[in-house]
Formats: sequence, C-alpha cells, structure tokens
Amino acid sequence: MPVVVAHADDGRRIDSQSQNSRNPFYRGRRLITIITSDDVKLGDHPKHVYIHIPFCYHKCGYCDFASLAGVDHLADRYLTALDREISTSVERRSVSTIFVGGGTPTRLSAIQLERLLDVIRRAFDLASGGEFTVEANPGTLDREKVEVLAAGGVNRISLGAQSFQKSSLKVLERDHEPDEVIRAVEWIAPRFPRWSIDLIFGVPGSTLSMWTDDLDRTLALGPSHLSCYGLVYEKGTPLWKSRREGLVSELNEDLERAMYETTIDRLAEAGLEMYEISNYARQGHESLHNLAYWANASYYGFGVGAARYVNGVRSVNTRDIMAYLNRIEAGGDATGPSETLDAESRARETAVLMLRRIKLGIDRAEFALRTGFDLDRLVGSKFEKHRRNRLVDDDGLRVRLTREGIFLADTVLADIV
Amino acid sequence: MAYDPKLIRNFSIVAHIDHGKSTLADQLLLQSGAITQREFREQMLDDMDLERERGITIKARAVSIHYTLDNKTYELNLIDTPGHVDFHYEVSRSLAACEGAILLVDATQGVQAQTVANAYLAIGSDLAIVPALNKIDVQTARPDEIREEIQATLGIDPAEVLSVSGKTGQGVPELFRALIERIPPPKGKSDAPLRALIFDSKFDDYQGVVTYIRVVDGSIRVGQKIRLMAQGSEHEVTALGRFRPREVACDDLGMGEVGYVVANIKKLSDVKIGDTITDAAKPATEPLPGYAEPAQVVFCGLFPASHNQFEDLRTALQKLSLNDSSFTYEPETSDALGFGFRCGFLGMLHMEIVQQRLERESNLSLVQTAPNVTYEIVTVKGETLHISNPTRIPDPGFIEEFREPIAKVDFILPAESIGAIMQLCEDRRGTYLKTEYITPTRAILSYELPLAEMIYDLYDKLKSMTRGYGTMDYELLGYRVGDLCRLDILVAGSKVDALSVVVHRAQADRRGRKLVKKLRQEIDRHQFEVAIQAAIGSRVIARETISALRKNVTAKCYGGDITRKRKLLEKQKEGKKRMKQVGNVEISQDAFLSILDSGEE
Repeated sequence: MPVVVAHADDGRRIDSQSQNSRNPFYRGRRLITIITSDDVKLGDHPKHVYIHIPFCYHKCGYCDFASLAGVDHLADRYLTALDREISTSVERRSVSTIFVGGGTPTRLSAIQLERLLDVIRRAFDLASGGEFTVEANPGTLDREKVEVLAAGGVNRISLGAQSFQKSSLKVLERDHEPDEVIRAVEWIAPRFPRWSIDLIFGVPGSTLSMWTDDLDRTLALGPSHLSCYGLVYEKGTPLWKSRREGLVSELNEDLERAMYETTIDRLAEAGLEMYEISNYARQGHESLHNLAYWANASYYGFGVGAARYVNGVRSVNTRDIMAYLNRIEAGGDATGPSETLDAESRARETAVLMLRRIKLGIDRAEFALRTGFDLDRLVGSKFEKHRRNRLVDDDGLRVRLTREGIFLADTVLADIV
Repeated sequence: MAYDPKLIRNFSIVAHIDHGKSTLADQLLLQSGAITQREFREQMLDDMDLERERGITIKARAVSIHYTLDNKTYELNLIDTPGHVDFHYEVSRSLAACEGAILLVDATQGVQAQTVANAYLAIGSDLAIVPALNKIDVQTARPDEIREEIQATLGIDPAEVLSVSGKTGQGVPELFRALIERIPPPKGKSDAPLRALIFDSKFDDYQGVVTYIRVVDGSIRVGQKIRLMAQGSEHEVTALGRFRPREVACDDLGMGEVGYVVANIKKLSDVKIGDTITDAAKPATEPLPGYAEPAQVVFCGLFPASHNQFEDLRTALQKLSLNDSSFTYEPETSDALGFGFRCGFLGMLHMEIVQQRLERESNLSLVQTAPNVTYEIVTVKGETLHISNPTRIPDPGFIEEFREPIAKVDFILPAESIGAIMQLCEDRRGTYLKTEYITPTRAILSYELPLAEMIYDLYDKLKSMTRGYGTMDYELLGYRVGDLCRLDILVAGSKVDALSVVVHRAQADRRGRKLVKKLRQEIDRHQFEVAIQAAIGSRVIARETISALRKNVTAKCYGGDITRKRKLLEKQKEGKKRMKQVGNVEISQDAFLSILDSGEE
C-alpha cells in the first residue's frame, strides 16, 4: 500500500490516507512526494522490474546500451534464458512497475513478444495502479505487435522517435522514416492509456528551427509524456569517434541551451510540465518506473547488461550475450561488476538522484526516511552556496533546482555527491 | 687517541652531476677495506629516497678510511659535497674542511658547468687538486680529448690527470697514492685552543642533533664544555666519533681529524653550518673565516587547500625543519588564499624537494603560489626594505628605487646552441659578458641575468634547447636597480593578491596580456561572466573575459547509468579540492602557477 506524504502549499502536512492514494502521483495544486512504503528500507523487496531486450535491426551511432544487430536467431534462446534467470532469482511477487527496454523490444516477432509477456506475467503480479511500459521503435512496430502488447497487460508505450528531420535521423543512424512515427502513433494511441515519445536535441547539423519543428510535429500527435535528451557523445560509440575525427562537431553551447529552453517553454505551453531534467508530462502521466530510480528505490534487472539494485548492492549483468546465455544455461547467474556503498555515500547518491526531480526535488522528510540522514547536516552548506547563486530554491520543506539550476545541474550535483 | 696529523689527508670529490662521484667514493671504501664487496652497492653515500630518485647528493657526508702505503697507515677523510648549484654555500664549507680535492670528470662527457664552478671553488679554497677521468672503462671514453678540455678550461697539465673507473676499480690504487702524495697533511696547531669547523649536521631521533666537524686547531674530547662561536651557545660534548662509514664512537678527536659531535642539542636550527666550535673555558680569540647565514633566494607561499588544515601544515613544516634547517617559513595571510606560510629556499631544486617531502610525508593538499625572489626597495622616505612577497611591495608612488638580485650565469654548451641561448638571455633582460671556447665545438657563455628571470624554467629551457648537452651554474652578484613594477591581477573586479608578480616595465604589457590569456584558460567557467584584468597601480593594461557556463547537465540517468554518472560527478568533486574560492570565483592550483609560464612561447 503506497503511502503518500503530502505538503500543502502552506507547508502543512496533509494526512495521506485522506487523499487519493490510488495514483501515487497525486494531482492538484499541492506538491506531493510519493513513498512506496514497502521498499523504503534496505533489504525490502524491490517493487520495480527492468527487463532488457538487446536485439536491434541496426545499432545507432550514439547508442552505448547493450544492443546487438544481426543476432536475431538467438531471440528464442534468449527468452528461455530470461525466463530461467527470473524464475530462479525471485519468487512470484507483486510489483508496482515493469519496464521492458532495449535494444529494441519490438524487434522481437509478435509470437516472441507474446512469449516474453507471458514470462513476465508468470513471474510478477502488477499491483493495481501499476505501470507496465515497453519501449517501441517506429521501424519495427506493426499493428499485430501493438495488439499483442495491449492484450499482454502493457499499459504504457515509450516510442523512440528521436527526430523528424531526415538529416538528423541520418546523423543518428536511425533506421526509420519520419512518417513511420506518425503511423506508429495511430496504432498506439487508441490502445494505450499512456504513451510517450523520445526525442534528441543538439544533433550535429541541426538548427533551432529544425528542433522547434520536431517539437511541433511531436505535440501534434498528442503525447501525454515526452523525454527530450540533449545528445551525449558516449565514449566509444561511432558518433564519439566521428567527433574525435572531426567528421561531426558539437553544436555550440548557446544553441544547445536555446534548444533546451525552447523545449521547456513549448512543452509547458502545451501542458507537458518538466518533472525531471529530460522528462515532461501532463500531470498524472509521469513515468512511475523512472521516478523510482530518482527516488533511489531498489529494482530488479534481468537480461544481458541489465542493472539491478537489490539489498543495497548495485550490480550489472554481463554485456556479452554469449556469456549471458552460457552462464544462465549452465544454471549460474550472469552478474558482472557490483558495488555496495556505505550509508553516507548512499545518502549522497540519493540526494543527487532526487535533485534531478524538478517538481519534487529533495523532500527533507522523504530523504530522512529513505537514508536515515539529515539533509542539512549532510550537504546543507553546499546548498547554501548554490542558493545564494540562485541555482537551487529551498522552501524549508524541500530543495529544488531553479530554472537556471536545471541548465547547470551537474555543477550543483558535483558538490553534493 | 688522536691520530698523527702527518698521516691524515682530508679531501672531497668535486664533479658535475652524474659524473660518477658516489660510485668512486664507494670504490675507495671497498679498496681500503671499509666495506665488503657485498656492501659495495651503488650510491652508498646517498641514503635519502628523494636523492636516489634524482641521482644527486644533497646532504654532505663524511667517511674515514684507513689505507696503507709504503708501510704507513693513513687516515683518509672523504668529505662528500652536495652536487647541485642550490647548495653553493654548503659546498664551500665542505671544501673548507679539506686540504685537497679529487676533480672528477666523466671521460665520455667532458667538462661541464659544475665541473668548472666546483673546480674554481676548490682552487679558490687553496686545495691541492687531484684531477681524474672517470668511466675510463666505457667504450665511448675520449680521454685525450677531455684532458685537453681540462687544460683549456682550468689550466691543468694533462700529465697530472689520472684515469680511473669507479665501477671496475681500475686506476684506484694510483689514485690513493696521488691523494697521499699530492695532498698536504693538515697544518693546524695541536696545542692551540680548540677550533673546529661545522660543515654539516643531521637530526637523529635518539641523539638529537649530530654535528659534523673538522678539527682545525687543538682537540675535542667527551665531557668538554664547548661554545658555538657565531651562535653564542654552550653545550657539553656527550659523544664523539668517526664514520667508518658507520658511526664508531671515540673519546677524542685531534687536530686535523674529521668526525661527529653529539652535545645534547635539540634543534637543527641551533647549529649553523660554517660556525666554529671552541672550548668554552679557553675560547679561541677568532672564529674560522667564511661563516655566513644560509641565503634563501627563492620564496613562495604554501597554503593548505582547505582552511582547517593550517595547523597541520605548521606541524608538517616544523617536522621537516628538523631535518633541513636551510629553508625558512613564516605565517602569511592572503586575502585570496587565507592562512598559510611564506617559505624561503636555497634554490628551485631545494623548493621542489621540500614541497615533495611535505606532500609525501604529511598527506596534505597544498596550493603553492608562483616562486619569486627578494627585492630591495628604497622608499621615498629613504628606508631600505627587503621584500620577498610581491603583495607587500608598496604602490609606485612610495618607491624611490626598485632593486632586484642579479646573478652571473655560466653556460657550457655546444657551439651551435650559442645563438639560441643568447636569444633566450636577451629576452630575459640578460647582459652579455663573454664567450670562451673550450674546444672548437664547445664554449662557455657568460651572462648577467636578473635572478627572477632564471628561477623558474631557465634550466629546463637550456636542456631542451641544447638537447641535453648544455649545463649551467650561477652565482649571486648582488642587487641592481631595475625599472620594475608590480603587476596585479584582478579576477571579477577584485585583486587576487596571490597572483601579483613583479615585472620589468618594458615587458609589462606583454606579460600582462599573456597572463590574462593564460588565466582565461586555467580558470573554470562559472555561471556568470568572469573578467580577468592585469593592472599596474590603478591602470588596467590587459583584459580577458571568461564566458558564462551555459549548460552543464547530464541528460540521462536511469537505473543502468547511476553508478557511472555518480563516479563522473565524484571526479569533478575531486578536481575541486585544490580550488580556492576567491570572492565568488573558484581558482585552481594550476591557475596560481600559470603566472610563471608567461614568458616566451
């Protein structure tokens, strides 16, 4: 049963049970923090599940996830391994969010997708009001797969559009056409209560008007949720190499900032409010799964390269698909590097994650409950400096990034980490 | 029992760095039986890690060996000298304790700057010179050519020059014979009141200060009350001994002998190198000549990176000064850097060593300001001030005369590099003195240079411009009037005292422009524009602007990203540790040092 800690605008604490606690992200004029009461403490069972599907038609130039092109023949074997990994590591239990990401989950055939959903349904019981998201790619989605997903209990789709500009799609090495996004939305919108679109800004060669056009065309489709990422040149990716070789160049910082500002303003006008550094939603349509990450809640992770955070231990599965398959098939697990932080580092990490939440920020009560640390004693003096510099706001109950603070978030975070 | 003075020989080895002095010293110990073959190891006389890494002898040491020649057993005292130009004074005191010196020249490299400088020092101290070529066993040795070089530079007869190998021991018996035959025995008065020269000291955790002495007149014995003449303090001798090479205690040391004294002295700074020890009850009338206070020529500010480590830094400096009394430190307050210390050093190498020791032994993060020299200023009121901190230099209106220290610098270098080094010296306000050719391809180039122009990187520049073949040596000449002024740096409108430098007026504009450009690269961007200005008095001569940081944010942070993103942030945080907050601008250690680097490209 989720507990909602709410503060009225005047700072008065509101009794959680009297509010609508069915949807944990309480709507209204009040600011609200969700706390899922049963995974607050270390050692509680995670209430969130991530499942990774690595297959892709083609690996995009900017992608540094565990994703693979040309190994589709391993898909059935992979699903068997995934089933085995899940069933041997957890008993069937109730969870509040499930997220299937990739790679490209929709690269699986309709039959394979059906099998995947079956595996998930057998292992986990989605709590009432829970969220079940699958990432989809416009180029690999079809009407049949949409039906399979909807029938299989999925209630949210995250569609990777990235851009409507042919030139940008080419730089990003995306394999779909702009029109395919529109077609995909036509299938998705009637079947799912909530769906989201991913966009990337700051693509080499793009201009502010191209980006505004992307936003307009996206808004015209009527999404209730958007993720807009400033392009990152992840080390080792083909895009990173191209930049190093001078084949593409980064946009200048002022232009990137203008694109970012435009995003925030345009989407707010359209009723999609920024609630995290790269995420915007109509109220009540925020991604619950991702909010769990930013609350530093624990989560399961299954599949090749998947990360998990269980009992205070962060670990990640091997990124090598053959190693993953062989190890699971041999009855072992696929865990690679892991890390256990001491209590203070964990508290600092929690502060770093929570501050990414634009509307929630770091709620002192929630922070103390989750970490056992007093926020002010831990990092108070740092916030004081940034408050003077107007990078953070502090209303006594919570600390949040200001508008300027959003653009310079890492400057603040590097002080409190 | 004191040794018969007629059978004593006291000598040093003078050489350029890396010409094999320590190896030869070990070979002398080995062939006299002072150490066994097993103990014969490289660089035996150098026992500090830092020195070993640099391959140079920093602190003087002494060792007594016995050698029998023609049925007589001699006591040979080898006094080791520091091999670096920063330790000139210490070298001179070690030489003053000797009657002779081996002038050691690498048979493959030939005469170098410190060969000449140290040879002149030895000749100037009236020492008998025993010249020897080392590394004679090496294939690339050029003995005949080098003998000619020695003749050309020092006027030494080639026939007198011996050939040895520290490594194989070849020629060492001949060297022993030459030491005994060419170096005179000590010529003091055995029955005169005690006079002993202090040429080194070290701190020992159990005994306190151990003082290295050469008895010049009279004798010293355990239980005697002694007086340090310059210091004016009195102590009782609790132990005496010789180094063979380990300490071997004895009851007395006679005229001409070399050994150590322990006299219940607690602090290294209470014993001054060059001071004279005499008998407290029956003192000598005159001290031995040549005593001087060690002269610190390079200064810099040392500040703890975090404010609350000031006391830790003080403790660390105190601890270090137990082992090295030649650096000074006094508390300093900087508007920009807070509380710290202004430290004085014998030279750049000395500064580097002290700083490394501090960081290594005390685990402190330090912010160091750019090194500078001491200036002599005559004010309009007629006062003479010595100022070793640019911040303290008065405003131009109060200065009648601005004087700076000048050094005579000798470069020994390949003839084809002369042009480049002359250009370098001209750029640094040098005055040309002369060029002398040692051979048709090697020359000695002499310049007078302001000390401030050479303390930072002249040696490195010389090395790179001569591809490693150039060497240099310098001596201080004194103060000279210069057209100097203080150049201030303003960051975001406020003066940062720790960034002030003294420059020559004719170069002020160029230096100022370079400096602000450099600082623009070194100071991180902030959320606001930061102006960097260079000014003389109230006149701004250069300006650069650091544009505001507009975007610094990690776009993605989901479950799989958390660990990596946190580590990236932690790295940024680590980088901020050596930052100093000046007003609302953070300035890195690199920025404080960048002001050194504003000379030629």
